[in-house]
Amino acid sequence: MADKVRLGLIQLCGCSGCHISLLDLHEQLLDVLPNLEIVYAPIIADVKEIPECDVFLIEGGARNEHDEHLIHEIREKSKVVIAWGTCAVYGGIPGLGNLYSAEQLKKTVYGTETTDNVGELPSDEMVPPLTNSVMPVPSIVDVEYVIPGCPPRPEINAGAIVALLEGRDPELPKKIVCDECPRTKENVIPETFKRTFEGTPDPEKCLFEQGYTCVGMGTRAGCGALCPSAGVPCRGCYGKTDEVLDQGSSLANTYAAAGDEALKISDKSALFNRFTLPAALISKKQE
Amino acid sequence: MGKITIAPLTRLEGHGKVTIKLDDSGKPADVKLHITALRGFEQFVIGRPAEEVPRIVPRICGICQTAHHLASVKAVDAAWGAQIPSAAEKQRELMHLGNMIHSHALHFYYLAAPDFVLGPDADPAIRNIVGVIDAAPEVAKKAIAMRRVGQSMVEATGGKPIHPVTGIPGGLSKSMSEEKRDELLAEIDTMIQYGQDGLDLMKSLNEKYLDTINSLGVIDTWYLGLVKDGKHNFYGDTLRFVSPDGSEKMEFKPAEYLDYLGEHVVEHSYVKYPYNKKVGYPEGLYRVGPLAMINVCDSMSTPLAEEARKEFAETFGRPANQSIAYNQARLIELLSACERAKELLEDPEIVSTDVKAEVEPKAGNGVGVVYAPRGTLFHNYETDDNGIVTKANMIVATTHNVPTMEKAIQQAAEVLFKDN
Ligand code: SF4
Ligand code: SF4
Ligand code: SF4
Repeated sequence: MADKVRLGLIQLCGCSGCHISLLDLHEQLLDVLPNLEIVYAPIIADVKEIPECDVFLIEGGARNEHDEHLIHEIREKSKVVIAWGTCAVYGGIPGLGNLYSAEQLKKTVYGTETTDNVGELPSDEMVPPLTNSVMPVPSIVDVEYVIPGCPPRPEINAGAIVALLEGRDPELPKKIVCDECPRTKENVIPETFKRTFEGTPDPEKCLFEQGYTCVGMGTRAGCGALCPSAGVPCRGCYGKTDEVLDQGSSLANTYAAAGDEALKISDKSALFNRFTLPAALISKKQE
Repeated sequence: MGKITIAPLTRLEGHGKVTIKLDDSGKPADVKLHITALRGFEQFVIGRPAEEVPRIVPRICGICQTAHHLASVKAVDAAWGAQIPSAAEKQRELMHLGNMIHSHALHFYYLAAPDFVLGPDADPAIRNIVGVIDAAPEVAKKAIAMRRVGQSMVEATGGKPIHPVTGIPGGLSKSMSEEKRDELLAEIDTMIQYGQDGLDLMKSLNEKYLDTINSLGVIDTWYLGLVKDGKHNFYGDTLRFVSPDGSEKMEFKPAEYLDYLGEHVVEHSYVKYPYNKKVGYPEGLYRVGPLAMINVCDSMSTPLAEEARKEFAETFGRPANQSIAYNQARLIELLSACERAKELLEDPEIVSTDVKAEVEPKAGNGVGVVYAPRGTLFHNYETDDNGIVTKANMIVATTHNVPTMEKAIQQAAEVLFKDN
């Protein structure tokens, strides 16, 4: 791609954090931007119709019929589609909604303590109906690449863009968060598990081995082990590695080594698949 | 009867559409703002251990994630009765200010300035931040530097610049390093200078667009903001409502919010319409965000920003009800956030490692409030004996403004269609 790349960007069922992470290239933006022609980006520019694009970055999966429709339209109009960020790739945090039916979600949201007309629901034709579950982009259309991370670090975004400009395939880290983590490991299995606020973790040693429910061993590297470096366990926001099918099952395997104690950890489905429930083997609550 | 649909509504984080129904004479009869996305956070935090929730709710908004992280952890602290060390409060406040600086710089320079710097009639294809980089590289340079420093402040205290993680019940999981403090201190005076430059730029633009400012989107609403001892405060303390003409004031603490705030479900939007419960719906619709914050406070808490606030009040009146005056109000806050960050960075406690108190999970109910960059933000959770969330309520910043945004668009449509 010698000429400027015609780039499209959109936020669907995401939080716009992936877009912000792109801006977090800061001064480097001035080097990257001249190579791009941003032809569609509702967050920053007033263009209403989706044009033909070389590359399209989709942030977020689909939570309603309109999202789904846009994903199809983008696929038709773009040469390269990238599922950008963990929401787009695996469903992300909004995917926790898959633990409940769409009806239940609405009932709770429109039934809070401050709501004065409980029982009424948005119903206008301009409000697109919710889908039954959150669907990651690759479950709707074929994509050329995925860039996981919640959000992907700016250098991962820049790396992918530069690779595309040079006609290479963007590559993802193959390792796990533990490989980037500065904490020391002794290969012991914890005897009991603790919650994050309990006690004061030793700042040098592996959090998992101290009994904190870190999931770095089942999570793709790329962030530089930010959370364990800040004193809290990894929650798996870069999703699974290439070797496994499902982040949750692979983590369950690791934790099973601790025996009964692991069974006592509360809320395991939302811990082991915190960011990846819609892409898990069992991806939604069965009704 | 004709109908105009504007979709997608751009430069609004989140998802919006506007429909304008026209009557037979071609005048706008009915204007509706439709927020078309719903994710259901109030539902899916239920059943989660409460200490996990501050790591979940930031995903409500990738721009003001830090505000959600902090309001959330405050709510858990309150539910469990945790008393957090003063050093942790200060480091959390600095994290919050970093987010404010990034977000206000983003909003003004990246989203609003293109219209002003390049003119509202410029080709939409260049009327964005990329166009600003070409047309006014000096302005772009400052915008980028302010965002960078803001985000570094969040990363230094929160562990990640987007979706921070260090806020845990009882305080913080980690304190800021002296090295990071020194890096931030080295840049903060420049940021204060840039803050003043931004205001100067805004004032020069005001002169050019004053007619538009005083005619488009001028509406009367209540205002809701945060104060401490009557002074403007980003991080907490007391909520204050001010009536449309400024004559009436109501003050309440976060824990009393149920007495003062109501929300109304409407047919045409996934967003509920919050209102001042003491006044009723729809008369009690209110605005939050920079304009509301400047309107409700007696004064700013930092000197340069207070000078700017006085000047603002002279230009726009008190309370100011011009929607476009939000931009100048935002810049006053940007300056104030930089000034306050400097005070905190010079405080020795900002690198103290005494940042975590012991806490026990228990059954309780807690409310956490901060002023997010787009407006006052409420998180309220109920927990069971094990500290698992059993009920949640969130009133998020943009939500507060949706109904009045609709009103402002309605008013703007009436002005714009007048001559048709
Ligand atoms: S991946 Fe994370 S940062 Fe990106 S949209 Fe989803 S929640 Fe936001
Ligand atoms: S702390 Fe977590 S990420 Fe680091 S080595 Fe241990 S399990 Fe892996
Ligand atoms: S440590 Fe884990 S949760 Fe934290 S940013 Fe990295 S991958 Fe995400």
